[in-house]
This record gives sequence, C-alpha cells and structure tokens, in this order.
Amino acid sequence: MAVETMTIEVAEASAVGFKAIGAGLAVGLAGMGTGLAQLGIGGAAVGATAENKEMFGLALLFTVIPETVVIFGLVVALLLLFT
Amino acid sequence: MFKVQRMSKLLIAASKDQLEPVIRELYRHNVFHIEDFVEQGEEGYEGFKIGKPIEGASATSGKLLRIRSLSNMIGISAGDVESGVVQGKGALSTRIESELPKIEDEIGVLVERRNSFESNHREYIQKLEDLEIFAKVPMDLSLLRGYDGFDVFAGSIPQDVELPVDSEKFFTAEVPGNLLIAVVPKESSQEVERFLVDNGFTAVAIPVEDGTAESNIEKYNQEITRLESEIGQLSEQISAQKEKHAEFLVACEELLTADVERAEAPLRFATTNEAFVAEGWVPSDDVESLTNDLRASTGGKVFVTEEEINYDEDAVPIEYNSPNWAKPTEALMDIYSRPQYTEFDPTLLVAIVFPIFFGFILGDIGYGAVLLIMSFGLRKLVKDSVAGNQLLDVLRNASVSSIIFGVLYSEFLGFACPWNPIIMSRHFNIGAAHGGHGPEAILLLIVTAWIGILHITLGRAIHARNAMIQLHPGEHRSKVVFAQIGWIIVMWGILLAIWTIAPIPMMPDLTGAMAIAGYNIFLLVGALMILIGIVGIGRESALELMELPTIISHVLSYTRLAAVGLSSVAIAAVTNFISIGMIIEPAMADFGIVSIVMIIVGIVVFLIGHILNTALGLLGGGLHSIRLHYVEFFTKFYQGGGRKYEPFGIIRKFTED
Repeated sequence: MAVETMTIEVAEASAVGFKAIGAGLAVGLAGMGTGLAQLGIGGAAVGATAENKEMFGLALLFTVIPETVVIFGLVVALLLLFT
Repeated sequence: MFKVQRMSKLLIAASKDQLEPVIRELYRHNVFHIEDFVEQGEEGYEGFKIGKPIEGASATSGKLLRIRSLSNMIGISAGDVESGVVQGKGALSTRIESELPKIEDEIGVLVERRNSFESNHREYIQKLEDLEIFAKVPMDLSLLRGYDGFDVFAGSIPQDVELPVDSEKFFTAEVPGNLLIAVVPKESSQEVERFLVDNGFTAVAIPVEDGTAESNIEKYNQEITRLESEIGQLSEQISAQKEKHAEFLVACEELLTADVERAEAPLRFATTNEAFVAEGWVPSDDVESLTNDLRASTGGKVFVTEEEINYDEDAVPIEYNSPNWAKPTEALMDIYSRPQYTEFDPTLLVAIVFPIFFGFILGDIGYGAVLLIMSFGLRKLVKDSVAGNQLLDVLRNASVSSIIFGVLYSEFLGFACPWNPIIMSRHFNIGAAHGGHGPEAILLLIVTAWIGILHITLGRAIHARNAMIQLHPGEHRSKVVFAQIGWIIVMWGILLAIWTIAPIPMMPDLTGAMAIAGYNIFLLVGALMILIGIVGIGRESALELMELPTIISHVLSYTRLAAVGLSSVAIAAVTNFISIGMIIEPAMADFGIVSIVMIIVGIVVFLIGHILNTALGLLGGGLHSIRLHYVEFFTKFYQGGGRKYEPFGIIRKFTED
C-alpha cells in the first residue's frame, strides 16, 4: 500500500478542492431545499391563478419566497470561493 | 408625484328631460367614473329608484348582438383593423339599416354551409376510424348483422383462439390489435362471451354499411377529399367577405357599443319620476371643464356640485399620476395591487430602482443589446394589450440600464471589454491559462447589503409617513409610527454592533473605538438602540417581535443582486471557455477538414449557451428585481387594494358623433 507523503503543496491543493466541494454542496443542497418548498407553493399558485387571474401578483410573490434559501446557499458558496 | 391622481366626487342632478344631453356630454369627456346607485334606502336617497334605460336601448343592443355574432363568425376583432377614415354617425346608421341584413344573409349562408360540410367531414372521419379494423375483412359488412338465431362478435384480441362451441370464425392479424369475428348460435353466446373476455377480447361496434369495408373506406376517403376542397373554397369566400366588410363591422360595433352604453347609463343613476341624480368621480383637474360643458349643453338646467370625500367610507377610484417615462411601471404595480388613495404611491420609486436592480444583475453590453432589440421586436405580438406594451417598455428601460452597467462592469457576453471595470470587477477568468484573481465577490455582496439596508430603511420610513397621513391622531397612530421607527433603530443597532466586532470593507470600522467598562462604546450604543427599537415594536404588537429575524434575512436577501449576477457571468464565461477555448482554438491551431466541423460545433455551443443565458438573465434579472420590490420593499409599507378608475366613455377609433 503506497503511502502519499503530505507536502504543503498537496495540503493547499486539497484545501482548494474541499472549498470547491463545499461551495457545490452549499448551492446544490440549498437549491434542493428551495425546490422542495416551491413544489407545493408553485402548484397551489398556478391553481389559484387559473381560477382567478388577479391572484397572479400574490401567487408569484408566494412562489418566490423560498428562493431566499438558495440565494443564501449561493452567497455562502461565493464567500467560500472568493475569500 | 408620489400620490395617485387627485379625485373629486361630483354629484350631478337634473330633471329627466336633461338625461340625454347630460349622458352624451359625460360620455364624450370620458372622465366620469360612475358610482353605481344601489337601492338600499341610504340617507338622503329615500324614494329614489334605479333608472330605466333610454328608449330604443333594447333595439340597439339587439343590433349590437347581431354585429358581434357576425364578427365572431368570421373572426374579426377591432385590433385587426387599421383605423382609416373616421365615419360619421348619421351615414353609418343608415348603412346599418340598409346593408346589415344583406351582409348577414351572405355571410350566414356561407358559414352555415361550411359548418354543415365540417360536421359531415367529422362524421366521415369517425366512420373511417370505425371501419379501419375491418379493412381486411373480405366479405360484405351487411352479412355481419340482422340474424335472428345468431349473435355476431367482433373485436380485437391479443391472439387467435379456438372457440369452445360450434361457430363460424374469422381472424386476421394484419390490422393493428388483430381482428376476430365470430358468428355463434344465440344459446351459446353467453359462454362464448365469457371465454372471449377471459382471452383479452375487446368488442368493437360493427359498422352499419353495405359492401366490403375496403370499398367503404375508399368511398369515404373520396368524400372527405371532396369536402375538404369545398371547405377550402368556402373559407376563401368567407375571408374575402371578411376583407370587404371588416372596416364597416368594427365601426358599427364601436358606434353601437357607444349607443348601448349611453342608453343603459340610467341603470346606474338614482331617479325619481321627474329627476335623476348621478354620483361619480372625476380627476380634480377635469372638474371645471366638465361642469362648464354640462351647463352649456343643458342650457344651465343642471345642478353640479363637488361633494366632500369621506376617506373612511368612500372607495376612491385610483388612477396613477406618474410622469410619462414612469408610466410603463404601472403594469408592474397592477400585477401586485393598485395603491390606495391616501397612501404613498411607490410607482416612481419602482420605475427608478427596478432598472437599476436589473442592470446590476445583468450588467452586460451584449445581453442588454439583445434584450433592447427584443423589446422592440416583440411589439407586434402585443399590439392591443396595454399591459403587454407597458411590460415591453419596462424591458426597454431595464435593458438600457443593463447596457450602462455593462460598460461599468466592462462586460460583453461574458468577455472583458478593452477597458478596466469602472466599478467592481465580475470577470471570472476561467481556464487554466488565465491567471489573475476572480470577481470581487465580497465587495459586490457588501454593496448589495448596503442597497438592502437603505431600501428597507426607506420602506419603513414610508410606512411611518403613511400612518401619519392615514390614521387619525391618537395613541394608535403614535404606536404605529414608533413601531416603524423601532424597526429602523433595531436594524441600525445591529449594524453598529456588527461593525464593532470585525472590520468589513466599505463599512465603518468601529473595532478600535473607545471602550467603557471593557465594552466598545458603539456596541453599547447598538445594544441600547436594539432595546429601544424592540420596545417600540412590541408596543404596537408583541406578535410582531417574531418577525425580528427578518431584519437580517431581508437585508441578506438583497445579496441576490450580486449572487444571481455572478452566476449569470459564470455561465457566460463557461460558455465562452468551452466553445472558444476548448473547441475552436485547438481546431484552429491544427487546421484540417475536421477543424471545420469542430469550429461549427463550437459556434453552435456558443449560440446555445448564450441564448440560454439570455433567457435566464431575463428571468433572473427581472423576477429577482421585482421580487425584491414585492417581498422585501412593499411588505414594509404598501397596502394596495385600490379600485381601478374606469371612466364612463370610450376612446373612439373608427367613428364620431
């Protein structure tokens, strides 16, 4: 079994890699959370709008509320990548 | 400027013989929003009844109905017709009397014939479908029916079967689903039916036709071809008629609609046997000219007075009062809700801030230019829709802002322009060959947080202003105002506290400030502000305190301006890198026949990537910008729910009185 020697370069490179993985997880998981939340709201919103067109503004508003979650994910990812 | 159009409540009263001139004048001015009279014994209206339509209303609406059904039959709408010559009322009325019946006959005959042909056509197609499964049956279809002692089964079945009783059977696998026909004695038909169902048999109806199925299919196909050509000819004749009469019909419709609306107006007035009273709303600027014209047209026999508005009971109809350049934004406001009469009308603020947000997110000269072209190119699609045109105007303003921000960010379709970014850089420098640092993401995030802090502070301040104007002076009002100020103080208190913890670029650094009893003085001040603010909020409603975390989450929500923007730049940069860096450049370096293919592939990738990113940019830039207004900004102060101002009258295009 070959044992890799841990040099400083290797450590730095893997730190960068872990940051990238972390950023990916932040966006990906937050996106899934938003998606799950929007699943229900979006369906109900489309139904409400179909019954009464005036609901559109309010329906849109409700639908985009969970989007904040994925934006937080994106912000965390950006912080990870660029600090 | 930040108020909706000022309205006056007018009361018009006159004797009944002045009804017609008054209605005509109101209709012509097109400014009077009629308040419908409801018989409920309101104070001062005892003994009043809803008016009756002016004589001739039902005859006119009968004619209008005929015109509309005619227009409907041949598919004319006012939007399809260019307004050419404006027709006078007298000439048009005589033409309606003389020409309308003739046109009705001509078109009616054509449409009726086409309808009957079309119903035959449908019927034959149905018959063809029914016959299809019998196409391979060699015998006469009349042989399959009319037996006293036998039952005939026909239908599809997965595979051929041997029937358990004495029978005549035909099976073919040449049609989809296979066909099985069995003629069995009546007494064993139940047994056969059970057997067949067990074998997956689905019965079909036997067509009532003579001759073989094949000959019938041929016959119907010929009929269908004949009918199709007949229908085509009739459609041509109908569209020739449509061409010929379109202008006349839309003019008639407009004239008659105006007549009917005027004739039915008394239904909305309060009347007695001798007099009538009309109540309604007029923009304050138009009161004088309307009053003067009403007096002139009735020879002074009308009483017009301005009533005082009771803001607690009257629902004042709302018309925006924004400068022309901000008018398109009214579409965005209508999607949410019209403002109330006494509240702050944020249309102008949205008109300024929305394009800035959009540009901040999608700051790119290339995308901005594409969207600008789109905002002009799509005009044809929304020719008649006011809201559609307004939304395209909004898109136009937003894309101009996008181009301006593109210059500031130095971006063109994700490439860097020859100059350095004038504000923050969003360039990604993707690819191994590129060095340099990435986008100034942290700076962007902080700038957007600042935008959020200021926007929310503004929203809360507007709420306090609304409360000062809308609520009656007293304890309730002071609680509301202090609560709003409390929200602002808590937010800034939190900010002060944060600034003492760690230095943040583009924000004051208070970490080194004087300390009292071991604590940073600003931290203490911040804590005090938070406390005072919470008391202010709690005094209005303790439940509101649950919302305290939104102070932070709403400010952070504004960082989407940076985040969504960066993701759009990243997609553009990746598209450019894949198409040019990874496909086209290597192909150019080692040029051969394959290179040409590779270059084409590269161009396709480039186009698809950027088309996708334009669509995403439009959606992202537009939706996120408007969402920040709707969710983060409007929830701080905006009530909405105003009633639309709909004046009595129409804008005439084709006719005049």
